[in-house]
Amino acid sequence: MHDEIVKIKGGRKGLQLSFAEGASFDDIWKHIEQKLESGSGFFLRGTLVLVPRERFLKEELARLQKLFHEHGLICRTMGAEDAAAAEGKPAAPAAKKQKTASPAARKKDPQVQEMVVVNRTLRGGQEIRTASSVLVCGNVNPGAQIIAGGSIDIRGTCRGLVHAGASGDTDSFIIADHLMPTQIRIANLIARSPDHMEMTERAERASIKDGQIVIEPIER
Amino acid sequence: MSKVYVITSGKGGVGKTTTTANLGVGLAMRGKKVVLVDTDTGLRNLDLLLGLENRIMYDLIDVAEGRVPYKKALVRHKKYETLFLLPTSQVKDKTSVNPEQLVKLCEDLRKEFDYILIDCPAGIEQGFKTAIAAADTAIVVTMPEISAVRDADKIIGELSRAEKEDIKLIVNRIRPQMVESGDMLDMNDINDILSIDCIGQVPDDEMVVTSTNKGEPCITMEHSLAGQAYRNIVGRICGEDIPFMEFPKEGFFQRLKRRVFGA
Repeated sequence: MHDEIVKIKGGRKGLQLSFAEGASFDDIWKHIEQKLESGSGFFLRGTLVLVPRERFLKEELARLQKLFHEHGLICRTMGAEDAAAAEGKPAAPAAKKQKTASPAARKKDPQVQEMVVVNRTLRGGQEIRTASSVLVCGNVNPGAQIIAGGSIDIRGTCRGLVHAGASGDTDSFIIADHLMPTQIRIANLIARSPDHMEMTERAERASIKDGQIVIEPIER
Repeated sequence: MSKVYVITSGKGGVGKTTTTANLGVGLAMRGKKVVLVDTDTGLRNLDLLLGLENRIMYDLIDVAEGRVPYKKALVRHKKYETLFLLPTSQVKDKTSVNPEQLVKLCEDLRKEFDYILIDCPAGIEQGFKTAIAAADTAIVVTMPEISAVRDADKIIGELSRAEKEDIKLIVNRIRPQMVESGDMLDMNDINDILSIDCIGQVPDDEMVVTSTNKGEPCITMEHSLAGQAYRNIVGRICGEDIPFMEFPKEGFFQRLKRRVFGA
């Protein structure tokens, strides 16, 4: 019985912890501490540990996170839908806002990368910041910002600030029907628009070639 | 069915208050029951444009805090029997009214009036959030100028964030000659960026200044171009299909005069 208080399961993302129904926090705490102290092969430094969010109170979660942190582990909390995803099962699509679009697609196929779909015009002062790629069906107006870990595709006119590969991916690119941004950034490179911008007729693509941001017309 | 409009712009000085006054008078000229609510607390102007400053007894703050019923604070227009102004306070500031109070007030006003026009303060802070809270439709006023269009864009973003989806555009103070010579943004440039339904294009008109000083909105002036533009907007608000007016082109003599005597 004792072993059942904390169950550890190796998942695609990291170690997933689940806990016996009636176990008290103190019991769980002791158990985890023991496991960590014993230095069993499970808990390597830098491993991601997932703890179900609903199971604990906020303070308890914070304490657990601290404990894992002290042992060099990364502790994340997760909701019920994430738990299913971590096991590789298709979860019931959560009724989320469009901003974090198509979580269902990601869960079905681990090969498909997440993409944020923005189905409106981004206006001045609005910002999309994400680790994944971004598809905008609308314009990106001056004063708007997109900062994406992946690539950016704009089905409309881009007049704002766009940053693709924000976490350093130099292979990412930016496409727009009319590419006339105030600034283009890809990975750690920055290009500024000419002071007199002309409306472009064809779709264009900005990417890095030979350590420079290059813009070339494309068909689509 | 009464409708609540908020007239907003983000940037100051583009003509929110002028537009509110003109639309109010225009709707009243058609016999509608109209109330104009000034929410620019601390910087109230709407009463001046209507020439009603000396008749104010109570204000929006008194009503919001429940000191007087709203009927006591309403000021009836001198000429148009169905036009009322609910002025705000000149001594308090924007924190004196909160969105819930304004929503409550508009619910009461709806029972009495056909059109409720709210004059919004400039900016995107508390005053703006209060002003838009009760509105069914937002009218964004802008000018053919980069900064005004940029601010209008921001305002439209803020409005959709507040789930106000019915947004109309009025472009104010257009100078046809400058547009023609390419020195001013034209309607295409503005539509490209803002892409919302435009219900009015108002030319820059000196009569607006004189009418403001006299406390009589230019919509009443037969020969004012801006007045005509405002009359058209009122028609469109009432559901009529009116084409945008053509601005008179600069004639040969004017051009010659400008060449000879300078701009």
